[in-house]
Amino acid sequence: MLTDLLYRLRALFRRSTVESELNEELRYHFDSEVDKYLRQGATREEALRRARLAFGGHEQIKEDCRNARGTGFLETSLQDFRYALRQLGSNPGFTIVIVLTLALSIGANSAIFSVISSVLLKSLPYPQPEKIVRLFLTNSIYPRFPLNHFDFRDYRARSKSFDSMAIYTRGDMQLSGGSAEPVRLYGFNITSGFFRVLGLHPELGREFDRNAELPGNGQQVILSDRLWRSRFGADRAIVGKKITLNAQPFTVIGVMPPGTEHPGNEYHSLAYGDDVDLWSPFTFDGNPARRGSHYTEGIARLKDGVTSEQAQSELNAIMAELGHEYANDARWHVLVVPLYREVVGSSQRMLLVLLGAVGMVLLIACANAANLLLARAATRQREIAVRLALGASRSRLIRQLLTESLLIAFIGGALGLVLAVGGVKALITLLPADFPRVHEIHVSAPVFAFTFIVSAATGILFGLIPAIQASRTDPRAGLHEGSRSTTGSGRISRLRNALVVSEVTLACVLLIGAGLMLRSLLNLVHLNPGFREDHVLTATVSLPYPEYKSKEQVSQFYETLTTNIGALPGVQSAAAGSDLPWTGYDENTSLNIEGKQPGPSDEFHARYHVASPDYFRALGIPLLHGRFFTAADKAGAPPVIIINRAMAEKYWNTGDAVGKRVTWDDHPKEEDWYRVVGVVGDIKDKPSSAGTEPAFWWPILQQPMAFLGESLVVRAGSDPLALADAIRTQVHRLDPALAVADVQWMDEIVYGSVATPRFAFVLVGLFAGLAIILAAIGTYGVISYSVTQRTSEFGLRVALGAQRLDVIRLVLAQAAKLVLAGTALGLILALTLARVLKSLIYNVSPADPLTFGSVGLMVIAIAVLACYIPAIKATRANPMTALRAE
Amino acid sequence: MPPIDLPQGTLDLLILRTLSVGPQHGWAISERVQQVSSDVLRIQQGSLYPALHRLERRGWIKARWGTSDNNRRAKYYELTRAGRKQLEVETDSWQKLTAAVAQILESA
Repeated sequence: MLTDLLYRLRALFRRSTVESELNEELRYHFDSEVDKYLRQGATREEALRRARLAFGGHEQIKEDCRNARGTGFLETSLQDFRYALRQLGSNPGFTIVIVLTLALSIGANSAIFSVISSVLLKSLPYPQPEKIVRLFLTNSIYPRFPLNHFDFRDYRARSKSFDSMAIYTRGDMQLSGGSAEPVRLYGFNITSGFFRVLGLHPELGREFDRNAELPGNGQQVILSDRLWRSRFGADRAIVGKKITLNAQPFTVIGVMPPGTEHPGNEYHSLAYGDDVDLWSPFTFDGNPARRGSHYTEGIARLKDGVTSEQAQSELNAIMAELGHEYANDARWHVLVVPLYREVVGSSQRMLLVLLGAVGMVLLIACANAANLLLARAATRQREIAVRLALGASRSRLIRQLLTESLLIAFIGGALGLVLAVGGVKALITLLPADFPRVHEIHVSAPVFAFTFIVSAATGILFGLIPAIQASRTDPRAGLHEGSRSTTGSGRISRLRNALVVSEVTLACVLLIGAGLMLRSLLNLVHLNPGFREDHVLTATVSLPYPEYKSKEQVSQFYETLTTNIGALPGVQSAAAGSDLPWTGYDENTSLNIEGKQPGPSDEFHARYHVASPDYFRALGIPLLHGRFFTAADKAGAPPVIIINRAMAEKYWNTGDAVGKRVTWDDHPKEEDWYRVVGVVGDIKDKPSSAGTEPAFWWPILQQPMAFLGESLVVRAGSDPLALADAIRTQVHRLDPALAVADVQWMDEIVYGSVATPRFAFVLVGLFAGLAIILAAIGTYGVISYSVTQRTSEFGLRVALGAQRLDVIRLVLAQAAKLVLAGTALGLILALTLARVLKSLIYNVSPADPLTFGSVGLMVIAIAVLACYIPAIKATRANPMTALRAE
Repeated sequence: MPPIDLPQGTLDLLILRTLSVGPQHGWAISERVQQVSSDVLRIQQGSLYPALHRLERRGWIKARWGTSDNNRRAKYYELTRAGRKQLEVETDSWQKLTAAVAQILESA
């Protein structure tokens, strides 16, 4: 084995020595043979002749010896490689066009694959992630709803499907103290077992135990590695110490290792990622018999061998038992969803569509490269004919031509990889902020492997047919000096036409995809949002419970703050409210309506908010009927609400529901009724929502419970730049320990809310642009080649009196046949494929006639433009030159 | 009797057997095979040299440069220890094969 390797290595690296030794050896043999014949009495001439006859082909023996040395394959490959390099170098224009188009399309594929590999293919960073599931409730009104925490305690006690279960809910906290500005920290309240579900262990200390869930034991905290390093100097003795959060002492129980990823949540959502700063215990307080409140999210780890379907049916059996015990639990079902699907869910389809689009670009680039190679094969016909005539085998010729196309593909792939590294960085900045696993996206080993395989496949795909075609060359054809009309050219031009038609077809499909996405994006951008986002600065200020225990204190704080901010120069109106549009707020309640009964399996429900008097004015939400809140709508005054138009229409079948009354009490007294004083315009939950859900607002001074975290909305007049600082100053004048978080302009929120459709459009648009350029190059190439071939024909026509226009018409007619066929095929293919886009586009039919029509016209126009230069060249055909060339 | 073509696989055996007597260069190997077989077996140069290179790669023979009878540089091949072992194996299997073939020919 070793001698074998050493031998081959010597043969490879000391090649010239080995070769000259072989020469010498064979010469010695030959001379000995000659001597033998001389000794037998032959003349010198006769001896030489007989020796030559006996010896056979000298070169053939050498070739066989090379093969026997076991380096033949490598040596010929090296030889082919050197030859291919020379070929490409001698034709730089051709090489640059083909390498660049391949680099662009392979690079785009690698970039998209980087995203797919990191987001879809890499498993979640937890041990045995496939065993982790998320738990939701579902019923006919709410497809996915948070759990009730007392229900969860019963699941935990009664179910046998899970290794561990936990619930968690958003619980941000403020960290103040020292000289640093107060900060809002992302936090979650978790039950014991939360990290066990994830399969993670604290780096220091331990996880919460069941005791921590009991009322009064909640002041414990587990820190993230980042917070521990940035605010606590990576103090290894921190476990057991007390830190101040929300103005209360919390005991540090543990520190999580770096890379502790939050599994994502829906209610007050924080996207999957490592953004969580700290965790504190979830406290089970209140009356366990009341199960109407739902704000916790379930997560669990399945036992070995239990499927999520089995777990779901077990939990549903438990839920049915609970339904008999507690009225609030009736009619709910449990939904068990694998965590992976939850994390990547909505992004999957878009990424696969992008991969499909970018794959089409690569196919077009392949067709283009094949086309260029076919065109060049025609000019290399003599070279190939000579090789065949000298005894090269067809397979040897194909192999050499394939070496060339593989070399092109690998150069393209290497360049493409460089482009992909840059492209991935650009992609990440384009991605929506809540896109799953964004920070995990990078060009990694699988991407290198992918690029390598794609490059190899590309090289074979575009190289094989031209190589086979070329190897069919008739050896005699090239030897006739000056012969131009060669056999097989009809077959080749049919092949090239087919390639152009398919390029146009695919480009058409991509353009239609991009067109549909553009229309969808325009629909979203030009959608009347129901508010005016310009010049509105927003921020969140949360009040720590220990210092703001009563709702009067809370409403007093926001009232004073908004009054102070409203008095600042340049501020038109300042307001506070429970939330901002399009930020995912979704708090719902059931309610009773005066004089109405819900259906037997239904209930009246609506989303609730609070708003200060200027809230609607600051956001530019129009008043349709009645009035806005005023300072007089305060505690003690008659209780009032403002509703949206959707609620008025849903429950009173009229736009004007002013004067109607609702209540949240099942046995209301007169003072429990809230009167509708205004109806405001609808705002969709998300820009892409089909409709608007019913919603209402309580006046901030009449809030039925304390809304501790509220959003500030400030509409600015002239100089909005200094406003953020002014707001901070005003907040800190009232309470220096408060953090001002999420400071952003409303138009940034609006911009961010269409980030996903914008991302999809920009990418598909780029790919479509690349596709149509490639298709145009392809069409240009074929038409211009055929014009060159037909020069003498055009010359003759001109000599016989054809006009310029006639010649142009001839060329264009030829091009039109290809382009029209490609466009027609493209439109048909797009019609069938566009259906997969349905969930990605908003308010556009996948068969949108405007998009299809304009793309069809555009493709034809671009193709005609691509043929313009060859057509003009055809009109210049000089009858004399043409005839002389024959 | 006219020379016959070598049966498949016997060339290696003949080269190894010839070299078992002592180191030889390529031409001498082919001459010797021809002589010993009374001109029945003749090795074509076209197969001799590739075979020598193949055997060298397998480590059964090794080559060194020496001086021939007529005072010229020639490449001499000699058996290695692995080559000797290989010769035994091949001789053995060749004898088994010919015995078996002879048996069948006689019985039929």
